[in-house]
Amino acid sequence: MHDEILTIDNLSTKFFTENGTVRAVNDLSLRVGRGDVFGIVGESGSGKSVTARSVMDLVDSPGRITDGSIWYRNEEFTDRVREDHPNAVEDGAVDLLELPESTRHGLRGSAFSMIFQDPASSFNASLTVGEQIAEAVEVQRRAHANPRSTRARTSGSNYSLKNYALSTVFPSKRFVTRASRDRAIELLEMVGIPDPVQRADEYPHEYSGGMLQRAMIAQALAGEPDVLIADEPTTALDVTIQAQVLDLLAELQEETGMTILLITHNLGVVARMCDRVGVMYAGEIVERGTLEDVFDDPVHPYTQGLLGSIPDLEGREGRLHPIAGNVPSLFEHEMEHRCHFADRCPKAMEECLEHPPEFDARGSPHHAARCYLAETTYSEAKALPEGYFSEADDPAMEQTETAATDGGGE
Amino acid sequence: MIPERLKASLKREFHQSLLAKVGLGLLILILFLALFAPILATHDPTTSRYWDDQGNSYPPLGITYDTEIAQEGERVEYTVEPTTEHLLGTNNVGEDIYSKFLYGARTSLLVGFFGTGLAVLMGVPFGLIAGYYGGRVDDSMMRVADIMLAFPSLVLAVALIGVLGAATIPIPDPIVMAGFAEDMPEYMILPGSVTIVVALVTWVWFARVARGEAMAIRSEEYVKAARSMGASNRRILVTHVLPNSLTPVIVLATIQVAAIILLESSLSYLGFSGTTLSWGYEIQQGQAYLSTQWWIATIPGIGIVLAVIGINLLGDWLRDSLDPNIEGEHGG
Amino acid sequence: MTFGKFLVRRLLQGVFVIWGVITVMFALRAVSPGDPVNLILDQAAGEELRQQVREDLGLDQPMYIQYLDYLQGIVVGDFGFSYQSSRPVLPMVLERVPATLELAFAATIVALIISIPLGVVSATRRNEPADYGATIGSLVGISTPNFWLGLMLILILSVQLGLFPTGRRPVAFHDSIWIALTTFHLGPLITWFHHIILPAVALGTYFTALITRLTRSGMIDELGKPYVTATEAKGLPGVLIRYKHVLRNTMIPIITVLGLQLGTLIGGAVITEIVFSWPGLGDRFIAAVNNRDWPLLQGVVVFIAISFVLINICVDALYAKLNPKVAAQ
Repeated sequence: MHDEILTIDNLSTKFFTENGTVRAVNDLSLRVGRGDVFGIVGESGSGKSVTARSVMDLVDSPGRITDGSIWYRNEEFTDRVREDHPNAVEDGAVDLLELPESTRHGLRGSAFSMIFQDPASSFNASLTVGEQIAEAVEVQRRAHANPRSTRARTSGSNYSLKNYALSTVFPSKRFVTRASRDRAIELLEMVGIPDPVQRADEYPHEYSGGMLQRAMIAQALAGEPDVLIADEPTTALDVTIQAQVLDLLAELQEETGMTILLITHNLGVVARMCDRVGVMYAGEIVERGTLEDVFDDPVHPYTQGLLGSIPDLEGREGRLHPIAGNVPSLFEHEMEHRCHFADRCPKAMEECLEHPPEFDARGSPHHAARCYLAETTYSEAKALPEGYFSEADDPAMEQTETAATDGGGE
Repeated sequence: MIPERLKASLKREFHQSLLAKVGLGLLILILFLALFAPILATHDPTTSRYWDDQGNSYPPLGITYDTEIAQEGERVEYTVEPTTEHLLGTNNVGEDIYSKFLYGARTSLLVGFFGTGLAVLMGVPFGLIAGYYGGRVDDSMMRVADIMLAFPSLVLAVALIGVLGAATIPIPDPIVMAGFAEDMPEYMILPGSVTIVVALVTWVWFARVARGEAMAIRSEEYVKAARSMGASNRRILVTHVLPNSLTPVIVLATIQVAAIILLESSLSYLGFSGTTLSWGYEIQQGQAYLSTQWWIATIPGIGIVLAVIGINLLGDWLRDSLDPNIEGEHGG
Repeated sequence: MTFGKFLVRRLLQGVFVIWGVITVMFALRAVSPGDPVNLILDQAAGEELRQQVREDLGLDQPMYIQYLDYLQGIVVGDFGFSYQSSRPVLPMVLERVPATLELAFAATIVALIISIPLGVVSATRRNEPADYGATIGSLVGISTPNFWLGLMLILILSVQLGLFPTGRRPVAFHDSIWIALTTFHLGPLITWFHHIILPAVALGTYFTALITRLTRSGMIDELGKPYVTATEAKGLPGVLIRYKHVLRNTMIPIITVLGLQLGTLIGGAVITEIVFSWPGLGDRFIAAVNNRDWPLLQGVVVFIAISFVLINICVDALYAKLNPKVAAQ
């Protein structure tokens, strides 16, 4: 229990747009154990990336975290914070949302770091790859009072506009030092980039997609983070390259023992990498548990649907089971207090008109699902009549037709 | 002619943007002043010697100034009072500043619109042909354009006027002809050389934009299809390429009207305009009197700034709602 | 290696442009009405003397010979003699070049120092008072004619408040620097500085406003790109994200636009010099046009073209340096 490095409780993140408030993440809770590979899986727009960005405090305006807590457990960090922010500390863990922005941002790169979906657009095209990785190293170097200490830090480094202006004239005032550059080259070597000395001086457009994703992993490792958040790390890559990148991640995880929060819509990636899984739908975790719980014994009809929609590579079944219907609207004024999946659910019942809480499910003690079927069995008698939602719903939702989800398949 | 989608976008942007409303308001105001100048003017702007008894220019309403006059062989201090007869006072030669302001708006807008129109007529066909045919035609035409671009337009304009001379074209004033304002000058003066010269130094911007559009449209499927069905190049240019390039040309034209008004004011400030009824010329007239009669140079400048702000705001509005890709705004 | 090639190509293009300008100027002279002899000699001069002058100037030769002579002269630095003052054109132009360069550089520096931080602040604090102020200020800035702005500055800051001189350039920059370095006497440098502030602000305002606008809209575009989030995720300080990463990428397209705007800077310098009696090429130029002093006019225009081409090459080189994709090509 006390070895949960990251615990998210009742997190809500909303986007306040001109057309209304969007509930991207709603009342989400999850627990990530130290050293685990935790997968968050769901369709596009289910809120998985926003969850990851909420942890990093990278949610862009007009988005904002409106509720909940994000507990990060790291002894050294807790000790540092305890004095200044006693409210934030509880039971040896720190609630990041209680900390001031600067303290939270100091965790970027050292406690949490992130790799992104599209490596080509996630590097700055006009600086060399080596320079950009060295920056990540330098940030951590400056944050450390003691260079040998390699664990989480409390504050980021300060660097003023004056220093930047001077650096354009005096090389000695540059942010990145020689030592950081050398470390960047080591990191490139570590992620398997050939000729790292030479490649460090190349620009992102001179790299292939797979190489660039490796470089991004190197950059994310610069601060020896406790938790690596990988947001669709392989989506933009070719299938053969995907496997190499996943192997690299697995290898690095084994070597360093870091925790990985893997966000993907690809169930194949989850099956290959993860120990634990959370399935997201409409901003909520609808089912979570160990890989075996979720994959072999799914409770929620959405999970079942997702698993059904993986194309079977070996062609045993030979066809896709797409989930009927569309991803629901996340506008607050259009969301009803019911199970958000009910309108697409083949087993929707009268209970489902009431928003389900999280129930413990069969399987391991961690297995839980936001579905009444965890407690009761499906009965035809209580089933909602066909076409119930297409009449009751907003007219815009009526066009729900059979649409293959993007859950899996790639 | 304007697609519905664009209309909707223009409307939405207009409702959201306070600046677009201000811009339209300013432009309508200046247009109104320029159009009805003969009726709104209180004096013939070319009549001089509106002075007080001592031969001093009147200040604008609400302002007095001290000067010295010779009285019985002695210099005595003397305060000049404004008169309701001349709302914005009179200038150093005793012309009514308010009336000259109105006629200055006419000159600026005439040059702005005619000059831009001429530049469009020169630049757009040039650019369309270069972009559509590509290859050697494009290369040689764009080399010419590069040389034109490679030169400070004001310097070129002054050099050209030095050669052409500051010729003007008198246009009969319809309002005076119709008998609505009998005391006003019968002709309005279009500074012909200036109009031609500003077009000569700005057409290249239109050529560049039209060329870019033509190059993009040339490779569109429907143009290829039209060509494969035997449509002549000229027909394709007129029916497909030209209409598609209109949006960016319109946006650029709006911005260029503002740039040309600024250029015209510079030319007339330097004395190359050929007409005295121009804001720039009035500023030059007032320059020598800056320390005593500061309003002579100040008031026409306000006219230029307001007109140019109005047109620039309109240009921003068009650009934000139509979203063409134009590089090098405000052609210089 | 590739950069050298790039430079050679741009220089050749520049020579081509300058040749074009020379040819256009020659053609303008050829079609312009009036006999230059009348500009040099008195009305009363006899026909014999006129013929003599015509022969001296080579005006009796066929056009193509005159053209070739003219080109040849320019290549060896001989621009002929001013009709008006009978002095050789080259020194008349050269003695005025430093003042114009001083003004153009000072205006550029004013513009860059103010506009870039203003644009960055405006983009990073969108829809806050600072942003509204910068937006409206830059709108007024691009809409104000620089000569009128100059007069207003003189009116308020010189005539009314007496803070700055109304114009003129009592000392050259290079002289004042020389004095400062050799005698440690800073007086002339301060005088120079005091005199150049108003003209530099008058000329620089348009560019300040333009660059502020471009920086703001470019930064806003750029801030929405994924690499910015990725850079934030590294924990990089905000200053570095804004200036080293985002601003750098914003400047790449802005530099192209500024290259195209250089003509406006030089044209603006001409008129600003007139307003402030700044003894640069501007008033030589206007005087040459008014007097139809063709040799002087050609000399000034060719010089402006040369400096324009050189500055443009520097801008292109900067562009290539900032944008690795161009350098690689």
